[in-house]
Amino acid sequence: MSRRVSDELADVLIIGAGASGAAMAWSLAETRMRIVCLEQGGWMNPAEYPTTRSGWELERFEGAYTLSPNARGRREDYPVNDDDSPIKVSNFNAVGGGTILYAAHFPRLHPSDFRVKTLDGVADDWPIDYATLEPFYDLNARMMGVAGLAGDPAYPPKEPPLPPVPLGKLGETLGRGFNRLGWHWWPSDSAIATRDYEGRAACINLGPCITGCAQGAKGSTDVTYWPVARREGVELRTHCRVREITVNEEGLASGARYVDGNGHEHHQRAEIVILACNGVGTPRLLLNSRSGRFPDGLANSSGLVGRNLMFHPYAMVTGLFDEPLEGYKGPTGCSIISQEFYETDPARGFVRGYSAEMLRGMGPVSTALWGMSSNCLPWGAEHHAAYDELWDRTAGMVAICEDLPEPHNRVTLDPDLVDADGIPAPKIQYQLSENSLRMLDHAVARGSEVLKTAGARETWSEAPLRPAGWHLMGTARMGSDPRSSVVDPVGRAHDVKNLFIADGSVFVTSGGVNPTHTLQAIALYIADHIKKNLENLFD
Amino acid sequence: MNEDSLPEPVFSAVLDELIPARDSSLPGAGALGLGATVESRLGAAVALVASGLAALDALANTRKARDFVDLPREVRVELLREVAASHLGFVENLIVHLYSAYYQHPRVIEAIGLENRPPYPDGYELESGDLGLLDLVRERARLYRDA
Ligand SMILES: Cc1cc2nc3c(=O)[nH]c(=O)nc-3n(C[C@H](O)[C@H](O)[C@H](O)COP(=O)(O)OP(=O)(O)OC[C@H]3O[C@@H](n4cnc5c(N)ncnc54)[C@H](O)[C@@H]3O)c2cc1C
Ligand code: SF4
Repeated sequence: MSRRVSDELADVLIIGAGASGAAMAWSLAETRMRIVCLEQGGWMNPAEYPTTRSGWELERFEGAYTLSPNARGRREDYPVNDDDSPIKVSNFNAVGGGTILYAAHFPRLHPSDFRVKTLDGVADDWPIDYATLEPFYDLNARMMGVAGLAGDPAYPPKEPPLPPVPLGKLGETLGRGFNRLGWHWWPSDSAIATRDYEGRAACINLGPCITGCAQGAKGSTDVTYWPVARREGVELRTHCRVREITVNEEGLASGARYVDGNGHEHHQRAEIVILACNGVGTPRLLLNSRSGRFPDGLANSSGLVGRNLMFHPYAMVTGLFDEPLEGYKGPTGCSIISQEFYETDPARGFVRGYSAEMLRGMGPVSTALWGMSSNCLPWGAEHHAAYDELWDRTAGMVAICEDLPEPHNRVTLDPDLVDADGIPAPKIQYQLSENSLRMLDHAVARGSEVLKTAGARETWSEAPLRPAGWHLMGTARMGSDPRSSVVDPVGRAHDVKNLFIADGSVFVTSGGVNPTHTLQAIALYIADHIKKNLENLFD
Repeated sequence: MNEDSLPEPVFSAVLDELIPARDSSLPGAGALGLGATVESRLGAAVALVASGLAALDALANTRKARDFVDLPREVRVELLREVAASHLGFVENLIVHLYSAYYQHPRVIEAIGLENRPPYPDGYELESGDLGLLDLVRERARLYRDA
């Protein structure tokens, strides 16, 4: 009988098998250390994703593939009390984490995003910069399979390994609108295999990537990093939910106490512990890891664990066009992006800025439900004529607004709510700042302007978008000063020298782009540091 | 139909008014047989809908001395609007679930010009589009700031 590493001391214990945990595991695998990853979810079966069956569209709104863990309520999920936030948490708990549902929009941060204090006098500078992460962005782009087009004037030079996602009629129509206004736009960098790539079949433009990609074309880490990491010897243990990180007499992390799928408690010992549970799961676990030595939670001497939660407030504008746009074809969230309003311009009345991510259209059911909620699809004799005017004639824009860190926006432990294993659940307290509100207004106005210029006869908007709590950042920030940060510039907890944090919790500021490419690049950068310094990591 | 089901034929008649026949080849939502699906999805709102349907038949009988289903179309719509206004949630709950069920129905999907199949495994063809449109953007000075 083969002996599991669980019976022994692991060299490295990674908690969470999502975007960052997978990248970390893959990178460390070459060291041949004994690496164990504990993940509360299981493996997904792409053959069971909704797009494989009729009724697929509705499954986005209800059941096992909805965005909210509270609505899904699978055993693998944990509840999140987000009553006290206008933006609700969206995530997924499985091998692959949030990348199972994500849209795979895959931009990088910009050089200026790491220097917001210096350039714009707000928040804090990062202790690392774009140049530090650049090689890890490139590496991650190869591993995740990024489609895009070189030459974007909004970025320093970069060469995506795969050709861009098709513009289609919708992308061309919107691109012409941007051109008329003289605004920047570019095909979106997307973690989507636009041709067969590293064992993944090419994207066949199914549309709704956000209920899982049955084709395996989307770069979710269950099909990118994990197969390689496991081949290289990493042990990934699923349905194992960590209750707390344990510490020894010297104040070092000694491992983790976890509950397996049968409800049995275990203790996995480890030399190094790495957290990759995301911007809500990681502070929750640290706060749940109280001890005599760390009464306020592990790695929390700064009091900043859970604070400075950033979401990226979203504004959404939908335009109605006269002509069919074939918008139900192609990856929903990946077509073109505009960064015309990305860098700070004081004349706009807010600091920092946003990306405008153009969305493709909707399927038949979503069109009807959107028409109903937008009061443009009546019942009765006019129903069919009204529907025909909506069907395949919508295109949308979402603005991903930079969210600045504010200590009162935070994750704490709910005093009553617990998950299926009785572990205290997180509670979110979050308010939109004046700066965010002004930015959202600006985005709605500019979004309407570009959609109308592209040919939309009418537009509708929603800001902030309620379920858009899918980017979870800042709750264990990185910095050089232990008084004002949780981890140091290489992701190591200031208070616990064998504890690392590798997910979006370490973001100092959020930028105005989707975070996954960056948080994986950070995980690879931290892994690189660990590998290069194994001999004297704890000196 | 079990005892607790929403009453027929008034329920199907209401669905036929909410989404009437599209043309001669596609009947209204009630005649398409969507009642059972809608009812199964109503959850706790089923009581609200049941009371709306009862109010509709009662109004038809007091006002027109006939059952709702025996009235001409224009009169049915007029009464339906009246009850919708007095029984908040009655029509709103129905149409959420009716729209969802209707726009998944194979005949409806074909009527709006799509093939009746899930997206996978055949997917869709999508033109790559004219990347020459980006020439204007390429000509611009770089947008990012040095830091
Ligand atoms: C609908 C949707 C659309 C999105 N679209 C995009 C997009 O287009 N582009 C983009 O960049 N990002 C997108 N995101 C966000 C993206 O999914 C996240 O940024 C990314 O997955 C975060 O990576 P992570 O490693 O920090 O955490 P996750 O990927 O969330 O992984 C954390 C893992 O840790 C596990 N875990 C947590 N707590 C425990 C515990 N106590 N014990 C054991 N395991 C635990 C979880 O089960 C989970 O699998 C989207 C997200 C959603 C939900
Ligand atoms: S559009 Fe492409 S990436 Fe998205 S689900 Fe379909 S095949 Fe996958």
